[in-house]
Amino acid sequence: MSSSDTTQPPPGHGISAVGKATLDAALRVGGLFAAVIAVALVFVFINPNFANPNLAVSVLRAMSSVAIMAMGLTLVIVVGEIDLSFGAMYGLAANTLAVVWIAMGVSVYLAIPIAIGVGILVGLFNGFLVTSFKIPSFIVTLGSYNLLYGLSLWISNTGTFNPNYPPPGGVVDQGELNFFIGLTQNIGKYSLSIEIFWMLGIAVVVGFLLHRSLFGFRLMAIGGNPEAGKLARLPVKRYKILAFILCSVLASIAGILDFSFIQTSQPDIGLSQTFPVFAAVIIGGASLAGGKGTIIGTLGGALLLAELQIGLALLSPGPHVQQIFLGAVTIGAVALDLFLTKLRKSRTA
Amino acid sequence: MSTNAAGISIRGVTKRYGSTIALNGVDLDVRPGEVLGIAGPNGAGKSTLIRVIAGEERSDGGELTFDGVPWSPTVDWHAVAVVHQEPQLFPNLTVAQNVMVGREGTSAARPSLSAADARVMDALGIGHLRDRQLADCSLATQQRTEIARAVARDSRVFLFDEPNSALTAAESDELFREMHKIAATGRIVLLVTHRLGDLVEHCKRVAIVRDGRVRAVLEGEALTEDGLARQLVTDSGGAHGHAGARNAAATQAGPELFSARGWTHAKAFRGISMDGKAGEIIALVGVEGSGSRELLRSFAGLERCTGTISIGGMSGEAALRRQTAYVPATRLLSLYSNFSVGENLLVRLGYPEIAGFGLALKRRRMREMARAAVSRFLVKTRTTTQEIRSLSGGNQQKVAIAQALHCGPKLLLLEEPTRGVDIHSKAEIYRLLRDYADEGNTVIIFCTEVLEVYEAADRVHVVAGGTLSPSLQVAEYGHVEQLATDITRLEQEGRSEARAA
Repeated sequence: MSSSDTTQPPPGHGISAVGKATLDAALRVGGLFAAVIAVALVFVFINPNFANPNLAVSVLRAMSSVAIMAMGLTLVIVVGEIDLSFGAMYGLAANTLAVVWIAMGVSVYLAIPIAIGVGILVGLFNGFLVTSFKIPSFIVTLGSYNLLYGLSLWISNTGTFNPNYPPPGGVVDQGELNFFIGLTQNIGKYSLSIEIFWMLGIAVVVGFLLHRSLFGFRLMAIGGNPEAGKLARLPVKRYKILAFILCSVLASIAGILDFSFIQTSQPDIGLSQTFPVFAAVIIGGASLAGGKGTIIGTLGGALLLAELQIGLALLSPGPHVQQIFLGAVTIGAVALDLFLTKLRKSRTA
Repeated sequence: MSTNAAGISIRGVTKRYGSTIALNGVDLDVRPGEVLGIAGPNGAGKSTLIRVIAGEERSDGGELTFDGVPWSPTVDWHAVAVVHQEPQLFPNLTVAQNVMVGREGTSAARPSLSAADARVMDALGIGHLRDRQLADCSLATQQRTEIARAVARDSRVFLFDEPNSALTAAESDELFREMHKIAATGRIVLLVTHRLGDLVEHCKRVAIVRDGRVRAVLEGEALTEDGLARQLVTDSGGAHGHAGARNAAATQAGPELFSARGWTHAKAFRGISMDGKAGEIIALVGVEGSGSRELLRSFAGLERCTGTISIGGMSGEAALRRQTAYVPATRLLSLYSNFSVGENLLVRLGYPEIAGFGLALKRRRMREMARAAVSRFLVKTRTTTQEIRSLSGGNQQKVAIAQALHCGPKLLLLEEPTRGVDIHSKAEIYRLLRDYADEGNTVIIFCTEVLEVYEAADRVHVVAGGTLSPSLQVAEYGHVEQLATDITRLEQEGRSEARAA
């Protein structure tokens, strides 16, 4: 609609998280949600029974912990770093909570902050090693992935926990159990899990942080040109550490919420989430080079993946199809994005 | 006919970048066996011409011939060897491997060092270093390696691009000896340098590039430092405000704003004392490695130094952190390609300028500030939401400077503020700096061009061998050549003093 020779900025275009970049992001997000709808239509076409609100609700539930982690990862990727440890952090938080609460008998109201506190420490650890010792974040977090998984195995003594069946000698207070299960219980006619609302609430907060706050503005700047940020004396180190902390904390929250929903913890939960979460962020339009990424895009990526996962699980003869689709969609989304960007550039140049 | 046909002939070569014309019909003949110098102010098209000859850039129009045959350097890039200021080699390989690199050919086997390669390396005096990893070699050795590779490849054209800017006097003598040897074999040699003395001493002819053309070719009697200096300066009509009158006014007016005493850096300089008044623009001049860049950056708190410093009533760390802003030489280090023009203008600001309660961005205020900045800093852009990359180099540079000015520093520090900028933007940038100084601030510029000192600054200090010369008052000079002569003298004095100490 907007012609190329306007002299005034088009109305509604601000300057933060803005300008051409916003238009790019808007197109990207628009395309993503068009894909979500198209895929839904294909599924309904194949099997009309899929047009059913309960299925939509389960898609939303299935995406929520992935989306919560993916939002944290988006922050780290925007600032130009990478975090491979969030999946292990998800597991460590759930296991910490399980051990502290169920085995050690500490109140759940204290055990949850402890589990989140572990997330803060891990983020601090990652961020500190990356910024102060200049170790590439890929290596630091590859290390902490294994480290955290090791810790999960150690503290849980490789065991599983379920608050409904505490180990011999352990007692779980019924009120605390109700509170914990209530964190993600299903409500309403369509049995909407509260976890979905956690995801939406977190999306509002993280979306504000990334797109409407000074924090996000500088995060984008640092990711776009870290060297310039340093010379302009932006707080590069502090912001990178904060991004790592937020990523770990969000992974902890996802782990705790999923534990509440599934009610069973295992030492290795979360590890297999690592790559689907990455896929969601990348499909959502974030660039591994830093300086680019949106929360709404990441949510769209998580939604598309969850939709494919559930739809294919109901249709397909085996899990291989889901994996193949996950791979194809990840590469396809980025390839399409690059192609369209190039096309637009060559048209405007 | 025969004299014209031998060597490279360049006829009417043009090159534009977007709306900027970098080369506007260059005509030049380079003959084998001679050393041809190329000189020109920054942003005059010199580096574009070099890139075209080196095959790193394709010209838009005109033609090149080599020995009378149409020639395309982008295809025949093997023919041209560039000896860079900073050698473009593989630091992780050995000297010998660097000489052989690119010659793997069709076989899967590693290439082996032939007797001819060994002879070339011996002739250049690097034979004994052949198994040393390049990263562990001196810059001089690295340049020799670059030359050896080119000789071994049988390149016919050698382009020396500011080759001795980081070499010691003895090393650069050696380098020029090699250069003359190469020319004596009948190869074509071009020397690009800012050092007028070197051009006079080593070149048979020197082509002056200005405003995208070869404006003059000096040779024989006419080829003197003075003649070159004059050629480099007499151009670019209009852009010249030698700011004499304003200088005089400024030097009377301002109170002391900035002072450093015993300012010492672990490696680059020691015991420097320097002052600045409000309203003053001070230039720092010094060759690469003299400590001048480090000195400028140290005032921005980017280099760890000892000594005392006070700026606008604050002292120490706090003064460096709160009262200064630094603009790096390259826009790659100050602009954010993922940001719009407006975002780039505001990126150095924080709470409370662009963010309020809860660090929420004040979006409307940011829009207003960005628009105000665009008009105040004369940035030519359609909207503030445009990609920064869509602006011309000069306008990008204005954005980079405006970014720093927005912080309201009492002491503004700039490195080569008009590098790669067209003449018109150049004049506007000087005006911006002058206006900012007039508001009661001090501006320090690190310059590599005497002309820039002459046009923009009130005073100039020369940094040589880690010490600071007394300053020269630019207003006292009626001609830029005199200023250039005095700066050269101070440079030599500083270097010999440093050697004596």
